[in-house]
Formats: sequence, structure tokens, C-alpha cells
Amino acid sequence: MENFFLTILWPIRWLVELVLVAWHWLFSALGMDPAGGLTWVLSIVGLVIVVRAALIPVFVRQIKNQRKMLEVAPQIKKIQDKYKGKRDQLSREAMSREMMEFYKETGTNPLASCIPLLIQMPIFFSLFSVLNNAQHDKVGVGPLNAALSKSFGHASLFDVAPLHMSFQDALNEHNAAVMIVAAVMVALMVASQFYTQLQIMSKNISDETKNSPQFRQQRMLMYFLPFIFLFSGFAFPLGVMFYWLTTNIWTMVQQFLVIRAMPTPGSEAARRREERLARKREAQLAAGKIVLAEPAVEGGEPVVKRVSTQRVQPKSNKRGKKRR
Amino acid sequence: MTSAIRSFALAVWLLPRNIVVALLRGYRALISPLYGDVCRYYPSCSAYALGAVQEHGVFVGGALAARRVARCHPWAAGGVDDVPPSRTHRYRRTRFGFVVASPHGKG
Repeated sequence: MENFFLTILWPIRWLVELVLVAWHWLFSALGMDPAGGLTWVLSIVGLVIVVRAALIPVFVRQIKNQRKMLEVAPQIKKIQDKYKGKRDQLSREAMSREMMEFYKETGTNPLASCIPLLIQMPIFFSLFSVLNNAQHDKVGVGPLNAALSKSFGHASLFDVAPLHMSFQDALNEHNAAVMIVAAVMVALMVASQFYTQLQIMSKNISDETKNSPQFRQQRMLMYFLPFIFLFSGFAFPLGVMFYWLTTNIWTMVQQFLVIRAMPTPGSEAARRREERLARKREAQLAAGKIVLAEPAVEGGEPVVKRVSTQRVQPKSNKRGKKRR
Repeated sequence: MTSAIRSFALAVWLLPRNIVVALLRGYRALISPLYGDVCRYYPSCSAYALGAVQEHGVFVGGALAARRVARCHPWAAGGVDDVPPSRTHRYRRTRFGFVVASPHGKG
């Protein structure tokens, strides 16, 4: 069974090694110590950057869908209002069905499927086995040759915290440095994960969803999540933890930017964005950069007109006529 | 006596899918909520897998579920996608989701 997995993962391991070795080569060429722990840690960070950058198309698609979603927000609100206050399971199911059908029709599905999550798993596992192999002086499957593998396996951060060591190993071998590094990373991981979740939960969820029992269950799990990191921080080698931490931080920043720019309609973040835009508009009005014109339709929203500060190029009467 | 043998045989027959049902319930209770709503379909992939195994058993249901997971990718249209109903709908489901003999005894 294990061999089967290793065979399936072979191409991914090969790619992971290639990216890792490429970054390692770059940092070494820039004058860093090829055997240094920091060089390898930065290579791992580089690996995260490559992986997450490769996932950007998926992310951009999500943003586009969310932008479209802002346009159809009134219709979404209509569906939400239809099921307002109905908290029984049947109504919730009917609402989910209706929403999903609506997303499909309008091409505004904001969900990304589980691929962006699943894609991390083989990479994670590959990195784990690369580190594990390197520790036992085994050669990688591709670009990570014997010398590099040995260098990675024996690399220590600041010469005191070996990257292949986990908190558990450190306990056995009384390595306080590894324990401290692992503890700091777990703390950062918990904090970043918690903040990411909190951003979504407290700001980017419509009021209707907030009242559902699933949401309450999810919120409960948010408080339970840090324990998973405690476990992983205990069992995984530092090198793998660096990958996880970096990818967590990337997610956090990405989430922050998206929630700010394109919040879910009917959520706290959407209201805040409206307020921000309104304030900005007032400031611009006050500064005379824009003016409010008569509404296009009677009783409608006033039309915002941008006042151009650029001088209008004077045109001769002749040319002006020609253009018309 | 024969009915006792029959219901025992049925329980054995349904055992594999009930084991899978228990596993899927565990997954849905503990792991699914960790990453929230991501599925582009309704029902979500794990709900679909649960329904498919209840309806069609481990092999056919498992294949249906695998096909569904493969279909759920960022470029899929998404939408409502229910488990196709079994042609011979014979069993009852408990509240938890286990599949048991129907009370009509048609099994």
C-alpha cells in the first residue's frame, strides 16, 4: 500500500525536489551557505511561493466569480429573504439547493472545490518523505542527489535546530532549541489559522448563514482547531512545519485582501466596505473631485460624476466639427 | 427461524456499507467543518458519497462518489447534483444514516 502511494506520488515528489533544489541553488549562488539551515528554510518558503503562485489562476477565477456575485447580490438577497427565519433542516436544504442552482445559472459560484486544498496534501507528504529520506541518507527520486539530500538532512537552523527533528525527537534528545522553534511556530500557526477563520466567520458570512446550526458547529470547531496544530507541532519535523506555516500565512493575507475588496453580499464585511466607499465618496465630494449630478431616473440614485483636473485640450472649430 | 436467518444474512450483506457510512459520518462531523463550504455542488461531495453508499452499496456507491469528486474542480459549472436513485429501493435509513431492512419485509 505504501509503495502504491509512493508510485502515485513520484511525479509530485520529483517536482517538489526540483523546486526545492532550484531555490537552494539560487540562494547558494547569492552567497548563502549551501549547508546552512536558513538556506534550506528559505528554499522551503520558495517552494510555498511556487505552489501558491501556481494556484493563483484558481484564485483569480474565484475573485471573478465573486465580482459577478456583487452584481447579482439583490437576487441573492431575495433568496435569503425568502428563507428568513426558517431554521429547520428542510428549509436550509431547499435554500442551499436554490442558491446552488442560482450560482450555476449566473456563473457566480464562489466556491473553489476541494482541489486547492487537496493539492497541498501530496506536496506535504512529498516534503515529509524528502526530509525523512534525507535524514536517513537516502537519495531523492530526482533532482535531490546524494550530496544535496545529505545537506538537507543534516541542515540545522542557526546551527542548533535540525530541520528533520520534531518536538517529539527533541524531547528524546533534549534539544531545547528545536522545542523553542517548534513552540513558536505552533503559536504562529494557531494564530494565523485562527485569524483566517475568524475573518471569514465574523465578517464574510451573511446574517442568514450565521443563524444556521451548521455555522454554530463550525464556529465550535474553530476553537478546537488549535489542538490539531499542537499535535502536528509535536509530531512533524521542523522542515515540514515551515512549509505549513508559510502556506498558512499566505492564505491569511490572501483572505484578508479578498474579504476587503469583495465581501459576501449581506455580510458584515460588505457593510463595512459600503461604509468605506461612502466615506471615500464624501471626502472626494468635499475635495471637489467629483460632483453629484441629477439622478438618471426620477427618484433613483444620484449619478456620480468625476471632475477631471486635467486641462481639456483646446480644439479648433474646424477639427471639432469634423469629429462630430 | 428462516426469517431470523434471513435478517442475519441481510445484516451481514449491509455490514460493509454501514461501516463506510459510519466512517463518512465521522469524516463529515470532524474533518469537513475544518475547511468549511468548498464544494461547487449541492449536496457536497461527502454528502453525495454518503447518499451513494447508502443507496448503492460500497462498490457502485463508491464509484459514483469517486466520479463526483473528479467532477468537482474549480472549472466545473457546479449546481444541484443528486445521487441517482437505486432501481430497487429496498432499505430504510436510521436517523444516524445506517441502512437497515425496511419494515415492510420486502428485503
